Amino acid sequence: MSSNENKIGSTLIAGLWKENPTFRLMLGLCPPLAVTAACKPAFTMGLCVIFVLVCSNFVVSLMRNLLKPHLRILMFTLTIAAFVTIADLLLKAYQPDMSAVLGPYVPLIIVNCIIIGRAEACACKNDIWVSIADGISMGVGFTLALCAIALVRELLSTGKIFEITILPTVEVGGWFVPWTSMMLPIGAFLTLGLGLAFVNVITKKKQA
Amino acid sequence: MSKIKFFIQQSWLLIVSSFAFGLLIAVTNAALIDRINENEANKTSDKLRILLPDAKEILKQESITIKSPQQSDVNIELYKAITGDQCQGWVFKISGKGFADVITLMVGVDKNFEKMIGFSVLSSSETPGFGDRIAGSYYRNQFVGAPVGKLNLKKTGDPDIIDSDIVAISGATISSSAVVNMINDTMLQLKSKMLEKGMIQDVQ
Repeated sequence: MSSNENKIGSTLIAGLWKENPTFRLMLGLCPPLAVTAACKPAFTMGLCVIFVLVCSNFVVSLMRNLLKPHLRILMFTLTIAAFVTIADLLLKAYQPDMSAVLGPYVPLIIVNCIIIGRAEACACKNDIWVSIADGISMGVGFTLALCAIALVRELLSTGKIFEITILPTVEVGGWFVPWTSMMLPIGAFLTLGLGLAFVNVITKKKQA
Repeated sequence: MSKIKFFIQQSWLLIVSSFAFGLLIAVTNAALIDRINENEANKTSDKLRILLPDAKEILKQESITIKSPQQSDVNIELYKAITGDQCQGWVFKISGKGFADVITLMVGVDKNFEKMIGFSVLSSSETPGFGDRIAGSYYRNQFVGAPVGKLNLKKTGDPDIIDSDIVAISGATISSSAVVNMINDTMLQLKSKMLEKGMIQDVQ
């Protein structure tokens, strides 16, 4: 029992840094590039991914002993698609503005490889509690990574963070000239690339 | 017989869970669909309110069919703003090709189709920081009070002078001209159709 508790504990923190899906595993790089122009949509996207990841890990873990090896990917996709559809409907009903901003990227969570990857790597081999812990940890790690990229991009492209002005822009009489390119796809690639480099430098330093 | 048994053995989980997930989605959909439809309706009426803040009531009218530049029929959604029994103005919904995708606009015009009240962007996917500035005040304010007629897009000029010359947004010429073209393609046709129907009066 205690070894299982240890496993839950170590799983819960793995996604934050050691196995961070974006910066370490480099899985599911579509949302970090596509929805990180501002913090609010990035955060909303992160919450959707946490919801889908926890639910799908839970269901996959429940039926892990019934899965036929050659039908497992089909079952994973079915489970994920169902929960993504529910998340999309919830978002349309309670956050219509965010739903409009995120557009097709919420339905696209279905093909996000973090979720199918965790179902394959963790949920279909471990018990329910470890799987849920893994879902939470990976989801939170993903959300933090999205928010970190969005923070840099939103600050440099509009001078705001979560729509709160930090740097007053020239348009409203301040001094900051917004970097419009940070709002465009190039800003996403630059920030993600520099973020990866930063994480690698820290990891190298830790190992040395 | 053994084939059927094999088939069931292999796929029962898939069949059962398809039904289970289908049911789950159906229940969620049934619970939320009213709210989602309400949100859609609110989105349109909120945009109408921004265009016509003084109007007491905004009523949807029968849509009017006009010809597109490609000579096909287009139905234009039309709204009438009323305060008491006074007509305050008209709002119509148009869409056309932008830089990235279709742009949908709500265009407001005063009661006799003489001056524009302005427009608001209902949906667009123009480039952030460039094309999406069609929704910003620099560009939009040029339409407030502009005469109904053919609008011209200019590269330079004074955006503060309100006339039929619209100054384009630098870096977003295609988006700027898309909006002007959409309005040019519809407004005069719509005016003459409405004059024919007696919905508005010719004051000249």
